[in-house]
Amino acid sequence: MMPSEIGQLKNRIRKLRFEHGEITQQQLAERVGVARQTIIALEAGKYAPSLLLAFRLAAAFGVKTEDVFQWKANDGLL
Amino acid sequence: MKDGSALAPLQKLAWFNLIVFATGATLYLVSVPLIAWHFHKTLVAASVPALGIFGLCGILGISSFICNRRNLDEREELIDRRATMLGMTLFWEVFVLSSVGVWAIFSYIRHQTTVPVGFFPFLVFVGFIVFSVTQSVAILIQYKRSAGDDAL
Repeated sequence: MMPSEIGQLKNRIRKLRFEHGEITQQQLAERVGVARQTIIALEAGKYAPSLLLAFRLAAAFGVKTEDVFQWKANDGLL
Repeated sequence: MKDGSALAPLQKLAWFNLIVFATGATLYLVSVPLIAWHFHKTLVAASVPALGIFGLCGILGISSFICNRRNLDEREELIDRRATMLGMTLFWEVFVLSSVGVWAIFSYIRHQTTVPVGFFPFLVFVGFIVFSVTQSVAILIQYKRSAGDDAL
Protein backbone atom coordinates (compact mmCIF):
# COMPACT_ATOMS: atom_id res chain seq x y z
CA MET A 1 0.00 0.00 0.00
CA MET A 2 2.63 2.50 1.01
CA PRO A 3 5.61 2.45 -1.36
CA SER A 4 8.03 3.48 1.41
CA GLU A 5 11.03 2.32 -0.62
CA ILE A 6 10.54 5.18 -3.09
CA GLY A 7 9.80 7.87 -0.55
CA GLN A 8 7.41 9.02 2.10
CA LEU A 9 3.94 10.34 1.46
CA LYS A 10 2.69 12.62 4.20
CA ASN A 11 -0.67 14.30 4.42
CA ARG A 12 -2.46 17.02 6.33
CA ILE A 13 -5.92 15.47 6.23
CA ARG A 14 -6.40 15.50 9.99
CA LYS A 15 -5.28 19.12 10.27
CA LEU A 16 -7.49 20.14 7.34
CA ARG A 17 -10.47 18.39 8.90
CA PHE A 18 -10.13 20.50 12.01
CA GLU A 19 -9.50 23.66 10.01
CA HIS A 20 -12.71 23.02 8.07
CA GLY A 21 -15.22 23.02 10.90
CA GLU A 22 -13.90 19.93 12.67
CA ILE A 23 -15.63 17.58 10.28
CA THR A 24 -15.51 13.95 11.32
CA GLN A 25 -13.77 11.14 9.46
CA GLN A 26 -17.20 9.79 8.61
CA GLN A 27 -18.36 13.09 7.12
CA LEU A 28 -15.19 13.40 5.05
CA ALA A 29 -15.53 9.78 3.93
CA GLU A 30 -19.08 10.44 2.74
CA ARG A 31 -17.97 13.57 0.88
CA VAL A 32 -15.29 11.78 -1.10
CA GLY A 33 -17.14 8.48 -1.44
CA VAL A 34 -14.94 6.09 0.53
CA ALA A 35 -15.25 4.08 3.74
CA ARG A 36 -14.37 5.72 7.04
CA GLN A 37 -11.65 3.10 7.53
CA THR A 38 -9.97 4.40 4.38
CA ILE A 39 -9.78 7.92 5.86
CA ILE A 40 -8.32 6.40 9.05
CA ALA A 41 -5.69 4.53 7.03
CA LEU A 42 -4.87 7.67 5.03
CA GLU A 43 -4.44 9.81 8.15
CA ALA A 44 -2.21 7.16 9.70
CA GLY A 45 -0.07 7.14 6.56
CA LYS A 46 -0.82 3.44 6.03
CA TYR A 47 -2.37 3.85 2.61
CA ALA A 48 -1.28 5.78 -0.47
CA PRO A 49 -4.42 6.88 -2.35
CA SER A 50 -4.95 6.87 -6.08
CA LEU A 51 -4.47 10.15 -7.90
CA LEU A 52 -8.23 10.42 -8.32
CA LEU A 53 -8.90 10.05 -4.60
CA ALA A 54 -6.14 12.56 -3.81
CA PHE A 55 -7.85 15.11 -6.08
CA ARG A 56 -11.23 14.35 -4.54
CA LEU A 57 -9.85 14.91 -1.03
CA ALA A 58 -8.28 18.20 -2.07
CA ALA A 59 -11.56 19.28 -3.68
CA ALA A 60 -13.46 18.37 -0.52
CA PHE A 61 -11.30 20.85 1.40
CA GLY A 62 -11.22 23.38 -1.44
CA VAL A 63 -7.41 23.32 -1.62
CA LYS A 64 -4.75 22.12 -4.05
CA THR A 65 -3.62 18.51 -3.97
CA GLU A 66 -0.13 19.52 -2.81
CA ASP A 67 -1.71 21.27 0.17
CA VAL A 68 -3.05 17.90 1.27
CA PHE A 69 -0.24 15.53 0.27
CA GLN A 70 3.51 16.04 0.48
CA TRP A 71 6.03 13.59 -0.90
CA LYS A 72 9.57 13.28 0.42
CA ALA A 73 11.99 11.25 -1.65
CA ASN A 74 14.41 8.77 -0.11
CA ASP A 75 18.12 9.54 -0.41
CA GLY A 76 19.53 8.85 -3.85
CA LEU A 77 16.14 9.03 -5.55
CA LEU A 78 14.44 11.94 -7.26
CA MET B 1 -21.55 3.35 10.19
CA LYS B 2 -22.87 5.77 12.73
CA ASP B 3 -20.38 5.47 15.54
CA GLY B 4 -16.64 5.26 15.88
CA SER B 5 -16.45 1.51 16.38
CA ALA B 6 -18.53 0.50 13.34
CA LEU B 7 -17.12 -2.19 11.10
CA ALA B 8 -16.79 -1.81 7.36
CA PRO B 9 -19.10 -4.08 5.32
CA LEU B 10 -16.14 -6.19 4.19
CA GLN B 11 -15.09 -6.72 7.81
CA LYS B 12 -18.65 -7.73 8.70
CA LEU B 13 -18.60 -10.21 5.82
CA ALA B 14 -15.31 -11.70 7.02
CA TRP B 15 -16.58 -12.06 10.60
CA PHE B 16 -19.84 -13.56 9.36
CA ASN B 17 -17.94 -16.18 7.32
CA LEU B 18 -15.69 -17.06 10.24
CA ILE B 19 -18.60 -17.31 12.68
CA VAL B 20 -20.50 -19.61 10.29
CA PHE B 21 -17.46 -21.88 9.86
CA ALA B 22 -16.69 -21.85 13.59
CA THR B 23 -20.31 -22.75 14.36
CA GLY B 24 -20.20 -25.54 11.77
CA ALA B 25 -16.94 -26.90 13.20
CA THR B 26 -18.26 -26.76 16.76
CA LEU B 27 -21.50 -28.52 15.85
CA TYR B 28 -19.49 -31.11 13.90
CA LEU B 29 -17.26 -31.86 16.88
CA VAL B 30 -20.33 -32.19 19.12
CA SER B 31 -22.29 -34.33 16.65
CA VAL B 32 -19.58 -36.94 16.00
CA PRO B 33 -19.73 -38.51 19.50
CA LEU B 34 -23.52 -38.10 19.54
CA ILE B 35 -23.91 -39.98 16.24
CA ALA B 36 -21.42 -42.62 17.40
CA TRP B 37 -23.34 -43.09 20.65
CA HIS B 38 -26.83 -43.08 19.10
CA PHE B 39 -26.08 -45.43 16.21
CA HIS B 40 -23.53 -47.58 18.08
CA LYS B 41 -20.70 -46.70 15.67
CA THR B 42 -17.04 -45.90 16.19
CA LEU B 43 -16.00 -42.23 16.20
CA VAL B 44 -14.23 -42.73 12.88
CA ALA B 45 -17.37 -44.22 11.31
CA ALA B 46 -19.49 -41.39 12.71
CA SER B 47 -17.14 -38.67 11.49
CA VAL B 48 -18.20 -38.97 7.83
CA PRO B 49 -22.01 -38.62 8.11
CA ALA B 50 -21.48 -35.84 10.67
CA LEU B 51 -19.95 -33.79 7.85
CA GLY B 52 -23.52 -33.07 6.81
CA ILE B 53 -23.51 -30.45 9.57
CA PHE B 54 -21.43 -28.29 7.25
CA GLY B 55 -24.54 -27.89 5.11
CA LEU B 56 -24.94 -24.98 7.51
CA CYS B 57 -22.36 -23.19 5.35
CA GLY B 58 -25.17 -22.72 2.83
CA ILE B 59 -26.18 -19.63 4.77
CA LEU B 60 -22.99 -18.02 3.46
CA GLY B 61 -25.20 -17.36 0.45
CA ILE B 62 -26.81 -14.45 2.27
CA SER B 63 -23.41 -12.72 2.55
CA SER B 64 -24.31 -10.45 -0.38
CA PHE B 65 -26.86 -8.80 1.93
CA ILE B 66 -24.07 -8.04 4.39
CA CYS B 67 -21.57 -6.67 1.89
CA ASN B 68 -22.26 -5.57 -1.66
CA ARG B 69 -18.86 -5.85 -3.30
CA ARG B 70 -19.87 -3.28 -5.94
CA ASN B 71 -19.88 -0.57 -3.25
CA LEU B 72 -16.30 -1.06 -2.10
CA ASP B 73 -13.89 1.85 -2.35
CA GLU B 74 -10.43 1.58 -3.93
CA ARG B 75 -8.63 0.50 -0.75
CA GLU B 76 -11.28 -2.07 0.12
CA GLU B 77 -11.11 -3.46 -3.42
CA LEU B 78 -7.36 -3.85 -2.97
CA ILE B 79 -7.85 -5.63 0.37
CA ASP B 80 -10.52 -7.89 -1.15
CA ARG B 81 -8.36 -8.69 -4.18
CA ARG B 82 -5.32 -9.58 -2.07
CA ALA B 83 -7.41 -11.71 0.30
CA THR B 84 -9.03 -13.55 -2.61
CA MET B 85 -5.64 -14.16 -4.22
CA LEU B 86 -4.24 -15.52 -0.95
CA GLY B 87 -7.33 -17.71 -0.48
CA MET B 88 -7.05 -19.12 -4.01
CA THR B 89 -3.31 -19.77 -3.57
CA LEU B 90 -3.80 -21.65 -0.33
CA PHE B 91 -6.81 -23.52 -1.74
CA TRP B 92 -4.74 -24.71 -4.68
CA GLU B 93 -1.80 -25.76 -2.48
CA VAL B 94 -4.08 -27.72 -0.15
CA PHE B 95 -6.08 -29.21 -3.04
CA VAL B 96 -3.05 -30.44 -4.97
CA LEU B 97 -1.13 -31.66 -1.92
CA SER B 98 -4.23 -33.45 -0.57
CA SER B 99 -4.96 -35.01 -3.95
CA VAL B 100 -1.42 -36.32 -4.25
CA GLY B 101 -1.47 -37.33 -0.59
CA VAL B 102 -4.65 -39.36 -0.96
CA TRP B 103 -3.31 -41.03 -4.08
CA ALA B 104 0.02 -41.79 -2.34
CA ILE B 105 -1.73 -43.32 0.67
CA PHE B 106 -3.91 -45.57 -1.50
CA SER B 107 -1.10 -46.44 -3.84
CA TYR B 108 1.86 -47.04 -1.53
CA ILE B 109 0.28 -47.95 1.79
CA ARG B 110 -2.94 -49.73 0.83
CA HIS B 111 -1.58 -50.96 -2.52
CA GLN B 112 -4.71 -49.93 -4.39
CA THR B 113 -4.45 -48.54 -7.89
CA THR B 114 -7.56 -46.38 -7.69
CA VAL B 115 -8.77 -43.75 -5.28
CA PRO B 116 -12.46 -43.94 -4.20
CA VAL B 117 -14.45 -41.32 -6.06
CA GLY B 118 -15.93 -40.10 -2.79
CA PHE B 119 -12.67 -38.38 -1.95
CA PHE B 120 -13.00 -35.84 -4.76
CA PRO B 121 -16.05 -33.94 -3.43
CA PHE B 122 -14.49 -34.18 0.01
CA LEU B 123 -11.34 -32.44 -1.26
CA VAL B 124 -13.41 -29.74 -2.98
CA PHE B 125 -15.39 -29.29 0.22
CA VAL B 126 -12.22 -28.90 2.31
CA GLY B 127 -10.80 -26.60 -0.35
CA PHE B 128 -13.86 -24.34 -0.14
CA ILE B 129 -13.45 -24.04 3.61
CA VAL B 130 -9.73 -23.33 3.28
CA PHE B 131 -10.43 -20.64 0.66
CA SER B 132 -13.19 -18.90 2.60
CA VAL B 133 -11.44 -18.98 5.96
CA THR B 134 -8.13 -17.77 4.49
CA GLN B 135 -9.90 -14.98 2.60
CA SER B 136 -11.79 -13.85 5.71
CA VAL B 137 -8.73 -13.91 7.97
CA ALA B 138 -6.69 -12.04 5.34
CA ILE B 139 -9.39 -9.34 5.12
CA LEU B 140 -9.42 -8.86 8.90
CA ILE B 141 -5.62 -8.79 9.14
CA GLN B 142 -5.32 -6.20 6.38
CA TYR B 143 -7.91 -3.95 8.03
CA LYS B 144 -6.13 -4.33 11.35
CA ARG B 145 -2.70 -3.56 9.85
CA SER B 146 -3.84 -0.41 8.07
CA ALA B 147 -5.88 0.95 10.97
CA GLY B 148 -4.37 3.97 12.62
CA ASP B 149 -5.58 6.33 15.30
CA ASP B 150 -9.29 5.73 15.37
CA ALA B 151 -10.20 9.07 16.92
CA LEU B 152 -12.87 11.18 15.31
